[in-house]
Amino acid sequence: MKKIIPFCCLAGLTILLTACSTVAPWERDVTARKSMQLTKNANFAAINDHIYYSKEGSTGGRSTDGGGCGCN
Amino acid sequence: MQLSNRNKGRIGATLCLVTANLFSTTGLVQAQEVQNAFDEPATNGPGNIIMDGAVMYYRENNSRIQAIEPMASYTDYADNGDIFSIKLTADSLSGASPFGATPWIAPQNFLSPTSVTISGDDGSTGASGGVVVTDPVTQMKILQTTAKANELPLNPGFQDTRGAANLSYTKALASRTRVTFNLNGSIERDYQSYSGGASIAQDFNNKTTTISVGVNYQHDLSKRLYGTPTPFAVMTGVFTDGTKSENIVSATAGITQVITRNWLVQLNYSYERATGYQNNPYKVISVLDPVTGAPQRYLYEARPDKRTRNAVYIGSKLAVGSFVTNLSARYYHDSWGINSITANASEHIPIGTRGYIEPGVRYYHQSSADFFNYFLLSNAALPQFASADNRLDKFNAITASIKGGYMLNDQIELYAMADYYSQTKAGTKGLLPGNNGSLNLFAGVKAISVMTGVKYRF
Repeated sequence: MKKIIPFCCLAGLTILLTACSTVAPWERDVTARKSMQLTKNANFAAINDHIYYSKEGSTGGRSTDGGGCGCN
Repeated sequence: MQLSNRNKGRIGATLCLVTANLFSTTGLVQAQEVQNAFDEPATNGPGNIIMDGAVMYYRENNSRIQAIEPMASYTDYADNGDIFSIKLTADSLSGASPFGATPWIAPQNFLSPTSVTISGDDGSTGASGGVVVTDPVTQMKILQTTAKANELPLNPGFQDTRGAANLSYTKALASRTRVTFNLNGSIERDYQSYSGGASIAQDFNNKTTTISVGVNYQHDLSKRLYGTPTPFAVMTGVFTDGTKSENIVSATAGITQVITRNWLVQLNYSYERATGYQNNPYKVISVLDPVTGAPQRYLYEARPDKRTRNAVYIGSKLAVGSFVTNLSARYYHDSWGINSITANASEHIPIGTRGYIEPGVRYYHQSSADFFNYFLLSNAALPQFASADNRLDKFNAITASIKGGYMLNDQIELYAMADYYSQTKAGTKGLLPGNNGSLNLFAGVKAISVMTGVKYRF
């Protein structure tokens, strides 16, 4: 049960934020910027994911992309 | 100048109006002009083709692993909204890596299967720095290496290469709905991984809300030279088990929300279920004398054949002028008993009219797997599972990073990054039996990585 609580809190927070949004289509100039892309540089993200995947016990969360390695 | 109560009231009202204006629903900051090239809209709209090439260099401390990884990608944004991309990556690794054995006050000898040459074409990870003998029964070639006294034993001088390809196709079903299919393959001399997946993204609320759901299937093959070792078998350098496989099914659900004109957040949940062979065929665990701590023998590790992972990720991007503050956090839990938290913070800082830098810091903490142990004792019964792999240990990790980019013109972007990564033992230090407490059992790593690349838009 304790493990479910953080999941529910985050989901509730997001739903709350969704309800608050009143951004019109013509006001999305800032979020369309290069600097505001969720993955601004795919290679930066790929390298970091690969290093952390091979050196740590955790993975996942950000995407579903597969393609593992037998990292020593 | 003295302010009357009336003047104070007017000033207060004016401040309220200004504050309300700043935090109105149109954003934290009013009408922002393009002052930097990275304030321009992302050039991933229809009709663009982007080619991206980069090379990464990675190096660990104490002459452990080093890697060079070139990568190249081609992405075609079609006029009808479809997106096709292909990415090729190559890895060249060399160096030494810890394999689970504990240090000892005297030299230790280890045995492992090997090819004669470092770059043999027989499907092996080559090795050097020891004596090669041939087993009279199996005719297998066995490398005997010696670890120095008082030092953490390392797999010496291994060398490996990896090639990977990723294909992705996104189809715009309607103006608000997209489906994406992807295929991935990764081949090393001793390991292969293949995966395929599909996801769908749907926009809502004037495209301020995007909900996505994806599934992925992965099939991995572990095929060390001459096969794989039997779990808990004594390290002799002779393997009796063949190629082993594991299957991984994963799913992700996410929501991305534009909160204000300047602020967006992303929330993801991911689930993964792995079944099959999950041992690392290179890893052993030392069996020690319970009184002196002297190594008696080395057993190949044994891990459960099932693992379930859950992760929740939340990210936020907030623009103030041309600056962007990036924050993210992840909570992770798996059925092996590892819990972890990850926190990331970075700041996109515009430089002049064409560049940016982005300093950042990442904090990571994980607990150890239930079956992790630095060693086993010779007078105790074997547990059901045991591994001394340092990636299953309890530790903290800090990354300090700097990234940057520069738009040479409207079509060419140069970019680079540099990271320093450091793991440190968390919690109680592991100690050997006897009076050898000064020997460091923690095999955490410190590493630097640098990358540079160029992106070209046709």
